[in-house]
Amino acid sequence: MSAQTFSMPLGPVHVALEEPVYFHLDVDGETIRHVSLTSGHVHRGMEAMATQRNLIQNTTLTERVCSLCSNSHSFTYSMAVENVLGIEIPVRARYLRVLAEEIKRVASHLFNTAIQAHVIGFKSLFMHVMEVREMMQDVKETVYGNRMNLASNCIGGVKCDVSPELLTYIRQQVEKMRPAVAEIRDIYATNSMVLGRTKGIGLLPHDDAVRLGVVGPVARGSGIAHDVRKDSPYAAYMDMDFNVPVYDGCCIHSRTMVRLDEVMESFGIIEQCCTRMPDGPVTAPMRQIHVAEACARSEAPRGEVFYYIRTNGTDMPERLKWRVPSYMNWEALGVMMRDCAVADVALITNSIDPCVSCTER
Amino acid sequence: MEEQHILHGDAELMNGLSALCAAPGVKLGDASKPEPAQVAAEHHSVDSFGNAYHWYRLVEPGALVPAAQLLKEKGARLCMISPYNVRHMGEMQPEVCYHFELGGVVYNLTAVLDPKRPAVPSITPVFANADWHEREMMELFKISVEQHPNPRRLFLDEKLDAGILNQAVPLSVMMNGACTTDLWERILAGKGDKA
Repeated sequence: MSAQTFSMPLGPVHVALEEPVYFHLDVDGETIRHVSLTSGHVHRGMEAMATQRNLIQNTTLTERVCSLCSNSHSFTYSMAVENVLGIEIPVRARYLRVLAEEIKRVASHLFNTAIQAHVIGFKSLFMHVMEVREMMQDVKETVYGNRMNLASNCIGGVKCDVSPELLTYIRQQVEKMRPAVAEIRDIYATNSMVLGRTKGIGLLPHDDAVRLGVVGPVARGSGIAHDVRKDSPYAAYMDMDFNVPVYDGCCIHSRTMVRLDEVMESFGIIEQCCTRMPDGPVTAPMRQIHVAEACARSEAPRGEVFYYIRTNGTDMPERLKWRVPSYMNWEALGVMMRDCAVADVALITNSIDPCVSCTER
Repeated sequence: MEEQHILHGDAELMNGLSALCAAPGVKLGDASKPEPAQVAAEHHSVDSFGNAYHWYRLVEPGALVPAAQLLKEKGARLCMISPYNVRHMGEMQPEVCYHFELGGVVYNLTAVLDPKRPAVPSITPVFANADWHEREMMELFKISVEQHPNPRRLFLDEKLDAGILNQAVPLSVMMNGACTTDLWERILAGKGDKA
């Protein structure tokens, strides 16, 4: 085969995730020399839609930006509104918000990890991880009534309290999942087939990670100890004991290990929420809307989510803007895929846990 | 007595950013309009969890580049860029708010743009991750980003004019035409453009 460089379109439906995005790969033999991407196929104009809905309706809208991190959007949006109106939410609501967020984080990270096994071709591992994840899906369905959009957050707190019986059930599920995830973690850490496809591949050196401003497990897999839950604690995170896993391998494997370690940390946070949560109200009253601006940020499963809101004295925001973690991480693919093999493209893409729905809004 | 908050942040950085704002006490915006059309050049806020947010309104868009360089030297990270119009319909006043983070503290810089020719200098040469934000701002808000190293379309097809939806009247404005002046302001502004 000649070593002549040629362009190879890949997409719009990518092999690792069923969302539309085009990649243009300049290939030299089987080696990628340059990557660019074209997106915009599912741009829904959600930020414009937000300015035509009132503050309460936008809680529902923002929860639909993305499915896997849906809770992070309504959570951060609610915080932005609370900041702009000067609402302080009750302590129990702070704990309930953290509880829902960490439940979603566990499910999101396990999904990404399972897809990695699927792309590698390790079907039994894929099925096993998805089966373990199903326990957290059961928790979501039992506690919140839905498997994806929990509809838990509202402006001023949370919509529904969680009963002591359900808190006990959550702890029991976590107890069942903990050894199963520890076993999964061991497989990803030691299995030669997994390591052969992930270790030292898809490199994002620390300096490039800083330059591109990447966030979440992509940053923490390149040695950047950045986590909004620790850097600017919000909700009840200041009361939680947890570590921020950081790896400096800068490769797919490092990012996977960050996610799996974070699942274990999330179990600890969920248990702390269940045991330490004080009694009390779960919502604070709405306040008068003035002309003001505010922002809020949180650590979603994929990294920092940032919301900015401007109010103009009416119940509809003058401007609502948000930035999702994937938005910052796509450009890193250009660095990760440089000089890699075409066969690794799907795995590298999956390692940033990308979300087109989030990115394009 | 009003509650006292400890103001977190990098003092040197805050002084440097203050120097790029209008003088303290000076209000930016249209002086002929009552408050809140005028806004303080600098203010600071704290959320209910004690996280600090600093807000600066730059004296002119050109101050963005020295401000970005100062933030870069300090090791700050660009989080987001938010373009918006303060007043819609007839009178468009575009502004852009740049959000940076350093040590868990958020620094917001607002540039007030010329409504006739909205433009900002690119900060992508300083913060590489401004690339997508600036390209999105160009195509969706028709804000010209000068010296951008890669001014390609991000989401919209190349064949579409920038800010094309601003030329149309949204359904919500049409539906509220009987009880607000927005619809007529919109129509009159459109006629003004053609004249």
